[in-house]
Amino acid sequence: MTNNNGNYVTIKGTKEGLTIVLNDQCSFHELLEELKKKIEREQRLFENGPQVEVRVDAGNRYLSKSHEEEITEVLNKTGSVRVHEVHSNVMTKDEAQEVIEKATVTSVTQIVRSGQVLRKTGDILIIGDVNPGGVVEATGNIYVIGALKGIARAGTEGADHAVVCASVMIPKQISISDTYFYAPEKHEKQEQKPAIEGPGYAYVTGEEYKAIAFEETKMLGHYLRSVSYT
Amino acid sequence: MVGEAIVITSGKGGVGKTTTSANIGTALALQGQKVCLIDTDIGLRNLDVVMGLENRIIYDLVDAAEGRCKVQQALIRDKRFDCLHLLPAAQTKDKSAVNPEQMQEIVETLRPEYDFILIDCPAGIEQGFKNAVSGADKAIVVTTPDTAAVRDADRIIGLLENEDIEPPKLVVNRVRSDLSREGNVLDVEDVVATLAVDLLGMIVDEEHVLKAAHKGEPIAMDPNSRASLGYRNIARRLLGESVPLMAVEEKKSFFSKVKSLFGIKS
Repeated sequence: MTNNNGNYVTIKGTKEGLTIVLNDQCSFHELLEELKKKIEREQRLFENGPQVEVRVDAGNRYLSKSHEEEITEVLNKTGSVRVHEVHSNVMTKDEAQEVIEKATVTSVTQIVRSGQVLRKTGDILIIGDVNPGGVVEATGNIYVIGALKGIARAGTEGADHAVVCASVMIPKQISISDTYFYAPEKHEKQEQKPAIEGPGYAYVTGEEYKAIAFEETKMLGHYLRSVSYT
Repeated sequence: MVGEAIVITSGKGGVGKTTTSANIGTALALQGQKVCLIDTDIGLRNLDVVMGLENRIIYDLVDAAEGRCKVQQALIRDKRFDCLHLLPAAQTKDKSAVNPEQMQEIVETLRPEYDFILIDCPAGIEQGFKNAVSGADKAIVVTTPDTAAVRDADRIIGLLENEDIEPPKLVVNRVRSDLSREGNVLDVEDVVATLAVDLLGMIVDEEHVLKAAHKGEPIAMDPNSRASLGYRNIARRLLGESVPLMAVEEKKSFFSKVKSLFGIKS
């Protein structure tokens, strides 16, 4: 059984840091045992060196969350290794479905009226208005072809780079991830002014103190390209 | 004869559902239509009072629903029109005394005998609303030009979209040209733009309406009131006529303003 001891775990040095390639044919137990041994053997090497970024490549082995955690734990014990990514070529159908959902744009042709909540995974495209009292929630971006007069929540699972885009921008509230925008209190019975004249989008700006800012829609392409690089 | 069942609803209370029901009913009767008004505001009935028929009630909607009387026995004939009948609500029970199936049954019983069945819906979105809507094939949403009423009307239209019912039509009640001109309330265009439904008519705010309701005599009977004209126009539109919308401002006063501008006494 221990014949090919030493063949399951390969440590490679690359430009970005270390890559630990795990054999995908043996049992997980064997693999973990060997990883532990290897790390112990190389302990000296890790101990005094600077912090190393490690990428784990599990090949065609499916790793559950707990498997992933076990591997990360073994590596983190050394102190000087930081696991940057655990990569596997395999995912479950559910996970794949989720990835697809997050990448899809759901288009909805309706007016989201007071008291209605429209909640979707991925991006939402609304052809119609979002009236005051109506709520739209998406894990991705929200696009409204019409007037946004209600509440829009984009990037609800923590995507700071999500945007809320509308032809007419008079929102009561916008949130992107955990940053909020509230419409200014209106005095007397005056109509609320648009957050931006004409078609616009809302995005998160600032590093330490995050805030929601508005910009004309023509700048959206520029913004999306800039966030995709970071 | 297969009658249309129309529910008159608003979400918010106090915007004039009952007044609108009474007046559209009266205006349709004026046109010679056979009309039945159903008050579904069980426990807080008003339609009978507005119509001036309170003292004639023997049986009510709950009695008819529970089979203590025939539906026809509970109907009250209007003082002014033979072709206008009222099915009053019960005052001693609450909304849960009737369920949507019973409501549907009552409407189906009445349908062959009338041209129009107008169902006056209670405020709110609970049981009473569900009952009132269950029997209807069309809906009229009443709102006033203020933010709160429009918000609730929007909610109601959203709920009506889930029902098996035609897209609702809008009546804007208590329109005040003087206030909307100064930007103190919404104007009718704003309301229609927000709600995105067809406008069936608008009723200008007039003292006459209150006075008439106080007397138990619907304003639609008054030939000279502008509110009355509004209701009668709605009735004609319901009958398929195309009637242009009435100008909110009084023409006379406009001309007198122009005249006074040139120093001519009107």
